Amino acid sequence: METMIAVEGARKYYRVAKRGKGLTAAVGQLFNRKYEIKKAVDDISFSIKRGEIVGFIGPNGAGKSTTIKMLSGILYPDAGRVEADGFIPYKQRKQYVKNIGVVFGQKSQLNWDLPLIESFELMKFIYRIPREQYEKNLRQFCELLDMESFLGQPVRQLSLGQRMRGDIVAALLHSPELVFLDEPTIGLDVVAKEKIREFIRYMNKERNTTIIFTTHDMQDIEKVCNRLIIIDKGKKIYDGSIEEIKDRYTNVKTIEVLLENGGKETETFDVRRTSVNAVLERIFAERRVKDISVCEPEIDEIIRDIYEGRLRLDAPSAEGGAL
Amino acid sequence: MGELRIAVQSLKMSVQARMQYRVDTLVASIAVFVRESANIIVIYLALLKFDAINGWNVNEMLFLFSILFLTYAVVVSLFADLRDFSRMIREGRFDRLLVRPRGLLLQLILNNADVIASVGHGTLGILLFLLSAGRVGIEWNPVTILYYLCAIIGGVLMQGGIFIICSALSFYFVETGSIRSIFYWDMRRFAGYPISIYNKLIQTLLMYVVPFAFVNYFPAQFFLRKPDMAGYNEAYIYIAPLVGVFVYLLAYLFWRVSVRRYYSTGN
Repeated sequence: METMIAVEGARKYYRVAKRGKGLTAAVGQLFNRKYEIKKAVDDISFSIKRGEIVGFIGPNGAGKSTTIKMLSGILYPDAGRVEADGFIPYKQRKQYVKNIGVVFGQKSQLNWDLPLIESFELMKFIYRIPREQYEKNLRQFCELLDMESFLGQPVRQLSLGQRMRGDIVAALLHSPELVFLDEPTIGLDVVAKEKIREFIRYMNKERNTTIIFTTHDMQDIEKVCNRLIIIDKGKKIYDGSIEEIKDRYTNVKTIEVLLENGGKETETFDVRRTSVNAVLERIFAERRVKDISVCEPEIDEIIRDIYEGRLRLDAPSAEGGAL
Repeated sequence: MGELRIAVQSLKMSVQARMQYRVDTLVASIAVFVRESANIIVIYLALLKFDAINGWNVNEMLFLFSILFLTYAVVVSLFADLRDFSRMIREGRFDRLLVRPRGLLLQLILNNADVIASVGHGTLGILLFLLSAGRVGIEWNPVTILYYLCAIIGGVLMQGGIFIICSALSFYFVETGSIRSIFYWDMRRFAGYPISIYNKLIQTLLMYVVPFAFVNYFPAQFFLRKPDMAGYNEAYIYIAPLVGVFVYLLAYLFWRVSVRRYYSTGN
């Protein structure tokens, strides 16, 4: 398959003014500013093929948005190479962005006071979308996303989920082959999330659209992606399928105990390194236990453990946190 | 022609959006009109006592003002996003323009119109023009009409250029409100009067730094030929519309160079 995106050794550093505390420091800064270098993206490489759906996850400030911005041509890398759809995004901006769609989940591009259709019309002119294509897309997207009922309402009266659907349609009317969705499900209820996931899957399957999205919701990843990239502190720490992560951690168990004094505690450990017996014996020796359950961690917990450094992906297994 | 369609749709959206709040829009437009009129009325009353300022009588002063208001009405319907550019950067709305396949300045100019300011200043401008133009002895013929239109366009471009330059500065500094306020608003206040009343420093500022003199003073001289014109080069009258074009081009170049910085820092 054809390569859609190639990123090699991309870095993006920001210079952040260091702030001291108190008035003296504030006055001092006027004359002698100290800067800190923040490594937003620190040597990231990956490549994505046409027709893939890739989910980016990582804690806040991990570098996901900066990566998306470099890919969509808003920022250029300080070092390394970023190429997408055969273009250098920031260098050939106008040419490149004709064929991409971008949704910033936190920043709407719709006119707040007018019905969705007015913002869509503007897109038609900005992207020079032929009338037939525009009408066909609009009809199809509205049907898939169940939007007929609120097309005529001013955007400010829409729910967050309805607005997000509007934003997604606005970004896709020109039939882009490469789509970036930055947190498209943030703050939405289950139904709205499911609608959007279905739509993303549809666009990928029926139109072979390459889709890259960021999220904090592991359900998004499980239900939509065939590939997952985890970024933390500006570095790529995982790149592969979601099943692979799960397989790797089937040996990790979590024991949850309900104490007689009403407290609740959990312990996560790897059965290949610590025997269940040993853990249980220690718990029983130290606490008075009312109830106990053993479970395999949910993908959410695995990811949290990865973020917090308790599980390392390069090591085959790891010891869990202490009680 | 694609640009024209964007312009029409954007203007339609700006107006429709304001029409969602009819009363508010009406009241706010009237408020702008009243606020600006109050300044004019004060000057008008003062002039009734003085007769003239450096040879300019009341009607000639009003004609001078009318150009300022008329051009501003056009400026805010085109350059509203550039006037409020630092806010746009802060709110991250500029990123959106970068992922659309159109020129950045073009999008900024066509995007939003400040309907309220445009109506308020425009109404006052037309009113002042109607009050004064008939009484200052202008003979309207194809040449004078053509010059007048060119002067208005030049004045719009000059002020638009200043907004573009101030916007481009936000790629270097976070907050540029005070620069804008000195280089635009304070200079504009000076430009309400014939520049011959000022000392050398302010005259130089108005002619060569922020050339507001070419927006209204020199164009007005084309029609009025007041004696104070003797202090300036006659050619300034004729190049006045071109000064706007020149400032705009300069602003455009500065913008081109500056916008590159955005790609390196984001917001």
